[in-house]
Amino acid sequence: MRAPRPARPSPRSPRLLERTYGDRTELWTETVGEPPAVYGERWAEVGGRTLREFDPHRAKLSAALVRGWEGPLPGPGERWLYLGAASGTTASHVADLVGPSGRVYAVERSVRPFAQLLGLSERWPNLLPVLTDARDLDSYSDLVPPVDGVYSDIAQPDQVEILRAAAEAFLWSGRGSILLALKASSIGRDSTPAAHAARAEESLQGAFDLAPTVKLDPFHRAHFLLGGSRGGGPRHRPPAKPRPSRSRGR
Amino acid sequence: MPTAVVLAAGPTYVLVPPSGNPPSRFPRSHRPLTGERGAARVEREPTPPALAAAVDALAPSLRVAAGSAAVRAALSAQCRRSVALANAEELRFAREQAPWPEADEEREFALDSAEAAVTSALRSPVEVLISLAREEERLERTLEREARASESFIAVEASPLADYAVSWARSRSQLAAHHGTLAELLEREARRTLPNLSALVGPRVAGRLLARAGGLAGLGRLRAPRLQLLGSRRRPSAERGPRFGVIYRADRMEEVPADRRAAYARSLAALASIAARADATTHANLAPILVARRDRRVSDLQRRRR
Repeated sequence: MRAPRPARPSPRSPRLLERTYGDRTELWTETVGEPPAVYGERWAEVGGRTLREFDPHRAKLSAALVRGWEGPLPGPGERWLYLGAASGTTASHVADLVGPSGRVYAVERSVRPFAQLLGLSERWPNLLPVLTDARDLDSYSDLVPPVDGVYSDIAQPDQVEILRAAAEAFLWSGRGSILLALKASSIGRDSTPAAHAARAEESLQGAFDLAPTVKLDPFHRAHFLLGGSRGGGPRHRPPAKPRPSRSRGR
Repeated sequence: MPTAVVLAAGPTYVLVPPSGNPPSRFPRSHRPLTGERGAARVEREPTPPALAAAVDALAPSLRVAAGSAAVRAALSAQCRRSVALANAEELRFAREQAPWPEADEEREFALDSAEAAVTSALRSPVEVLISLAREEERLERTLEREARASESFIAVEASPLADYAVSWARSRSQLAAHHGTLAELLEREARRTLPNLSALVGPRVAGRLLARAGGLAGLGRLRAPRLQLLGSRRRPSAERGPRFGVIYRADRMEEVPADRRAAYARSLAALASIAARADATTHANLAPILVARRDRRVSDLQRRRR
């Protein structure tokens, strides 16, 4: 085991920590759940806090932070709706970010990953899984209250429309944030990934004050993170410190 | 027109009167049926009598609207007045007014519901077949690997290696017997769930196709070329892509001359997509027709060698 390095809170969120090894910066989240590791990530006890490594190769949100995402992030005490949670790799980190007083409602449609997600939610008290299709808003409206943010990671051709509809139905009226992990190759191969991202931005622009989109290369090819807030939602603020350098860059 | 909205909010119903008045909560009991782990579904009390009484007691000038079709149906069954479906505006207002259940209550309800949903989904014949097919495939790979390894293992006589080789062979044969039972179970399930496809390509391959397609509906929608390549490891390309997937292990493939197997795979995939569609939708018995056409194609291919 490596000697513990000091972890400093990221300017982006008190539950997100950075540890620097030379020129490499790693992201860690303070865990809400109990061991063992969810997907083989490293755990560390640093200064009385239990941290989990937020690996940019596994989680698109982490990759976006490494690439300098300035938009909204799940904050402590907030309620977030997570569409396309799969087996909970990223959803567990989102649950870490909202902390014990927040809630993450994790929607997943396919049964086998969901069974893993359910096992995970028994160790993560603030993670509530819902087995249903994210398109079918009525089927989960009785399980999900109005939320502060919607995170969507659905590899479907209509991923932008699914997020828009869910944001319309579940965000508090006039405020809240959205995050969209866009997979361009699921929309179609008829135009370039950048064109797909631009079209998605255009479709979300009217309702939300979007932060600059970031490209998730080289961690996730042809993926983007889009998002923004409206009303009193946490607005995007410029990072107070220099951006974390790209860790483990190829 | 002023409207009172009734919502389901986790384990409670909430009655939200028009603006100004506080909403009221009506807990509904729920319990998972058949034990905690193996819950088949969560039984919920349809509408608490107190809620029905409260709705009936509302002023007649008020419109009563339900937050979802399910709530509307439950409420209409127990109330004397007519219940409409809330529009988007009413629903938004009511959702934001409604008190959400306490964290513990909400969590318990969500986990019970999720547990029940998973159990009932995994219990369906299609999911059982998918699990069996995956397991059978994994076990078959293990057996092949062990057999290959044992061939290259040199057990010198009168040494501890010889004893080891004997006990290894014994455990291999046990594993083979286990695989046999599993395959039998798989074949039985496949014949029941996918009768047409099983008759055409063989039950094991039918199960594997279903597992690769991810579900019966998805399998029924596949076109023949996709079905032909399900489970292939190479990437399709314009010049020289893969020609077989799991269909290479289909019935009668071995009887076709090696250089005509791609042609057979194409014809078989075309027939198999028809069979899969029948199994997924109409449940018609097309097996005799399809099998006859398959056999004709096999004998054609055997006769007309290039």
